[in-house]
Amino acid sequence: MGGEIVIYMLGALIVLILLGAHIGVALALCSGVGVFIMFRGNTEAAVSLMSSTAYDAIRKDVFAVVPLFVLMGDFIWRSGAAGDLYRICDRTLRRLPGRLAIATIAGNTVFAAVTGVSIASAAAFSRIAYPEMMKLGYNQTFALGAVAGSACLGMLIPPSVLLIVWAILTEMSVGALFIAGIVPGMILAGLFATYVIVAAIRNPALAPTNDRPLVDPSPEENRAELIGGFGILGLILVVIGGIWAGFFSPTEAAAMGVLAALVLGIVKGMRLGDIMESMYQAGRTTAPIMFLLITAQMYSRLIALGGGVNYIQGLFDDSALSPIMIIALMTVIWLLLGMLVDSVSIILLTVPIFAPIAIALGYDPIAFAIYGILIIEAGLLSPPFGLLVYTVRGAVPDKTATLGKIFAGAFPYFLLILVAAVIVLTFPALATWPAQALL
Amino acid sequence: MTAQIRLARFLHIVSAVWTLGLALLVFADVLGRELFLSPVPGTKELLQNSVVTITFLQIPLAIYSGSMLRTSILTDAMPAIVRRLLRTFAALLGVSLFLALMWGTWPSFWDAFRIGEYEGEGSLRVPTWPVRGAVFAMSGFAALAYGAMIWLDWRGRLVDEQEAPGALLRLED
Repeated sequence: MGGEIVIYMLGALIVLILLGAHIGVALALCSGVGVFIMFRGNTEAAVSLMSSTAYDAIRKDVFAVVPLFVLMGDFIWRSGAAGDLYRICDRTLRRLPGRLAIATIAGNTVFAAVTGVSIASAAAFSRIAYPEMMKLGYNQTFALGAVAGSACLGMLIPPSVLLIVWAILTEMSVGALFIAGIVPGMILAGLFATYVIVAAIRNPALAPTNDRPLVDPSPEENRAELIGGFGILGLILVVIGGIWAGFFSPTEAAAMGVLAALVLGIVKGMRLGDIMESMYQAGRTTAPIMFLLITAQMYSRLIALGGGVNYIQGLFDDSALSPIMIIALMTVIWLLLGMLVDSVSIILLTVPIFAPIAIALGYDPIAFAIYGILIIEAGLLSPPFGLLVYTVRGAVPDKTATLGKIFAGAFPYFLLILVAAVIVLTFPALATWPAQALL
Repeated sequence: MTAQIRLARFLHIVSAVWTLGLALLVFADVLGRELFLSPVPGTKELLQNSVVTITFLQIPLAIYSGSMLRTSILTDAMPAIVRRLLRTFAALLGVSLFLALMWGTWPSFWDAFRIGEYEGEGSLRVPTWPVRGAVFAMSGFAALAYGAMIWLDWRGRLVDEQEAPGALLRLED
């Protein structure tokens, strides 16, 4: 009985979301109505489930990581340090084929370690890296693909909003999941770079060789770049190093990161107006995510009350699907959802059900989390509604960069993300071993 | 109407500054712990209560500025009048949710206020009514905001069919 109500409410939820209801509102109302039906028309129970969750769902200090990391990322983004990073990577990698595309990937890898949202990376590198690649005569599709594809690294390399949300929902340690994302993130960056080098060697027209630096910097510019570059490295050391060494909790690391990023921003020339603007925009990113985190817990409580996980697990058991088929089914659902809704919503909708099932099937919870985040990230690159593709489209100052070209250019990256996901699922130690110390 | 949006923006900025304040608080706490072996008492309690309050303070502007997450895959394909009806439907759902939250939060707020409910141990006792009160009041504001969005929508005053005029600080690139 309870399990069926959970399924009906899930159906209602999907219909409401497709009709354009705000996802958090739909989650909350479906949970309320579900409890109402389950308790045979008890309005009191429904309203009290919703209001008690609203009060206590995010009343834990670990939830402060979301606003803090978003704010840190916004400070860094507005400071212009991403451009410094790109130029430094470019000069270091001078001899490689397709070096500007590789510098985009390398820059994204490092930038990912100080921001929590892929969208920020995609927007930043669309403005910084794309024009440079076009100037050197790179193939447009190839250049657009590099920008959109490598932005995916932002969600895998900590700090990442997706890792935080996943950890919170499954009651795992945020710190452990952060550390678990590092090695798979490096592997993914390595796969991306290998693809660029191989493609550039096989078809030099994609990325004409040119080993002169982009600009010959004056000593002053050089110094400014070094400040940006070292500033970002210092931040990574404080935030990720601090968590890894067990020196800071994720919340503390986030707070230190915010202040360090603020200092870097001021050194790089941010003024009070820019700082206010950063805080204002960070709040606009944070509030909807936090609201979703609240309402997702209403939905989790409904699932728990109705025994939804056992019910759905029973369905899977009856279907006699092998574990690998079940994982494949989850993967397909994630990719399909990636065409409809944003990544945070996908995690909130599916993970309360998928994670316990995967663990019951014998998969490692941490490796499964990284696998899931990789697949959900791949969804951001897939047509027709890949969010990153639209972001690049909006941020690139060039009308000839069509959605079709970006999707085509990003497709190899989409495939490589799936490859990385399978690697992590096959060799879970890649994710779990570095995180061991924090478990 | 503009007064509502101004208030929402003001509360949003208050909570943004508050977030930066939390970073400073945690910094002081870590510094105190590492250097002087005396962390700032009550950091944890302050953090957890602040997170809830900040979130609720930011909800009205998220509604006015059209930042609440949703998908427009189906609605984009509809004619304008259907889109408007669906937006109204979505906003009515929002109104009902936040009214339900007000209804459910009021008794716990009133009890907490009346009996002086607190939590925490030892010397640090944090009363629970301020946060409960904030949830109650901001739910009211959020319901009002969703209602205002319907009104603005039917008077044709939404920007890009999704945000109230003046809700967004526009940046020039």
